[in-house]
Amino acid sequence: MQTDQVRQNIRTQIKQALARQDAAAVVKGAMELTAISTRPTDTMFSSTCLMEMSTLIEKDLGAKRLRTYIVRSVTVEPLLPYLTMEAVKANYVLDVHVGGYGSYVDEILNPTSALSQYNPDLVVILLDLDDIAGQLPELCADGLGKGVDEAIEQSAARIGQLLHSFRQSNSARIVLQGLVIPDTTSLGDIGDANLSYSLPSAVRELNKRLASICSGVRDCAFFDTDRLAARFGRRSWRDTRLFLSSRLQVSPAAFGVYAEGIVRTFSALFRAPRKVLCTDLDNTLWGGVLGEDGIDGIATGSSFPGNCFYEYQRYLKQLSARGILLAIVSKNNDADVREAFEARSADLAVHLDDFVATKISWSEKSHAIRELSQELSLGLDSFVFVDDNPVECAAVELELPDVVVVNAPLLEPWKLVEILSTQSFFDAASVTDDDVNRLNDYKAQTERTKLESNSGGRDEFLGSLGIICTFVDALQAPLARSVQLMAKTNQFNLTTRRYSAHEIEEFANDERVQAIAVRVRDRFGDAGVVGLALAKLEGDICHIDSLLLSCRVIGRGIETALLAHLSSKAIETGARRLIGEFIPTKKNAPCASFYLDHGFSPIAQPSYSTDGVQYYEIDLTTAAPVSPPWITLEGINTNER
Amino acid sequence: MSVEPVPSSLRELLADILEVSPDDIRLETSTESIETWDSFRHLQLILAIEGEYGVQFDPQRVADLTTVEMILSDLRAKGVELS
Repeated sequence: MQTDQVRQNIRTQIKQALARQDAAAVVKGAMELTAISTRPTDTMFSSTCLMEMSTLIEKDLGAKRLRTYIVRSVTVEPLLPYLTMEAVKANYVLDVHVGGYGSYVDEILNPTSALSQYNPDLVVILLDLDDIAGQLPELCADGLGKGVDEAIEQSAARIGQLLHSFRQSNSARIVLQGLVIPDTTSLGDIGDANLSYSLPSAVRELNKRLASICSGVRDCAFFDTDRLAARFGRRSWRDTRLFLSSRLQVSPAAFGVYAEGIVRTFSALFRAPRKVLCTDLDNTLWGGVLGEDGIDGIATGSSFPGNCFYEYQRYLKQLSARGILLAIVSKNNDADVREAFEARSADLAVHLDDFVATKISWSEKSHAIRELSQELSLGLDSFVFVDDNPVECAAVELELPDVVVVNAPLLEPWKLVEILSTQSFFDAASVTDDDVNRLNDYKAQTERTKLESNSGGRDEFLGSLGIICTFVDALQAPLARSVQLMAKTNQFNLTTRRYSAHEIEEFANDERVQAIAVRVRDRFGDAGVVGLALAKLEGDICHIDSLLLSCRVIGRGIETALLAHLSSKAIETGARRLIGEFIPTKKNAPCASFYLDHGFSPIAQPSYSTDGVQYYEIDLTTAAPVSPPWITLEGINTNER
Repeated sequence: MSVEPVPSSLRELLADILEVSPDDIRLETSTESIETWDSFRHLQLILAIEGEYGVQFDPQRVADLTTVEMILSDLRAKGVELS
């Protein structure tokens, strides 16, 4: 009854917020209401209010609006309010269109289908075992395997074909739902476990094939529903009564979890993962307080409770292995910490050289994180901060709202890894070589900073780096890296166009187009592919559509080398003028004067143009940009051929 | 015409799901009288009622529950006390 009163109060607050058009308060109310109440009617009410506010949620809270088309062979309508809720939680607003029951093949394949006409940003494909491999239950009935491999092969090939041909004509991101491993079969628990061709093992194999197909299709992610079902409990995941009577794939009790899984999956296709985890030391990386308990007193290693912290360290080390940078942010004496890492080395799963940087001092942690952000040239929205102290957490949250703060549970240290793994901030559907090499690259950056402070002039310093730029085709950079760069680069990005893989391919599929990626290395290391330029020749004018450079290599003349390379190739193909465009954003001020700095002149704007877009031009016959002398150029079609 | 009011919890639930004002929900309200009460909304509504009151309807009965009065009488028959 008391909860009921609270519910009614929150509902009233939401209605009031709605009336005064306060998007933040509506969202906050909706989250509170659905956190205290699992009643479907509260979710429906919240979702209706959120949809009503969707324009302001987009405008005031910066939510990303996605035109979403659901291709399905099952009933999804009752799920939609939950999808709306979970999407808003992750700062998306969905415009959903649900396709017909039996028409999914036509919708995917036919370029004039309702799907194509809807022009979606995202396509979510929700099919069931019946549609993907309806014959499997019968083929697996004896567990001996006759025809099973062939059936899996055919089913996977069919889905692969659907996705690939869809991709040829449409660049929408795709989420393909996997299958839930059947739990009630005629072979029973023992047969399923022991016979190699039981239905569960066949479906498991099929899931594996589908996931691998998804990774071969651009901008496509596999949604592992079985993992969610297993976590939730397979027995209550599906309500057979509702599946057979209404073709509901998932029981109403699991709607929230299921919707969250869909949102988490598609998020990985629209957002770059965070890049840095800053960890506290005392009672976070190890148990106890170094300054009080001493080097031998801190808890870490193989026995409880030290092993809880050891598990967290192993988790950090694993994050680091796929390119998440680790940093220490701790209030301690630097010398004590260094001694502890050395003396307890055998009991620690991470060591000082696993960290890209350490900020060990008595100053405010928000300062330390801000410094790190500058030193690494990474935005604060790339940071995650883990600390057991709620006061430190609250301070960082207040000072640096872009940083995600994780409060490590002081009294239950065994929970920290689980808390981190349920968060989506490090989610990535793919890992590139550049990700894996990131730690060495950023360490090299710190070395360069040291050298810079030791050397005389800027040119001398840059000359001493021995920079080599290699120009490659953006479609083979590899393409995934080019897409990643376009999606993630904010500061040095002249037009901030976020093309998908398909859009880049489409753009570059024209002989008048240059799509160049630049790879940079110097004597400290290989930064990988860090820059991209797209330009198109029209008549004797070459237009630069996009030009961007990862911020960690700005200021070494690489941007000039890229522009010079683009210019010389443009001249080769007959260009006489080069036109550049600058579209201002909240973050790209660092490159606002790029064209002016390179001798371009501004083109007068029509007076009605108020969006701040500025065009620049340069005469290539008299003033073509040249590459700085300290950079060595390599790769296809460079001037030194 | 019945004068018995629709219990408020059911009235609010129906209003939320059909996206109408609670005042529009009366005993004689039916799939015919409310435009938003289509077949998908009907399924949402049945699922919400099942979740709210902890009951299950026989799937064959679901299609017949086309008025508020019928829903109410089925709920009462299942022993649900409505406030």
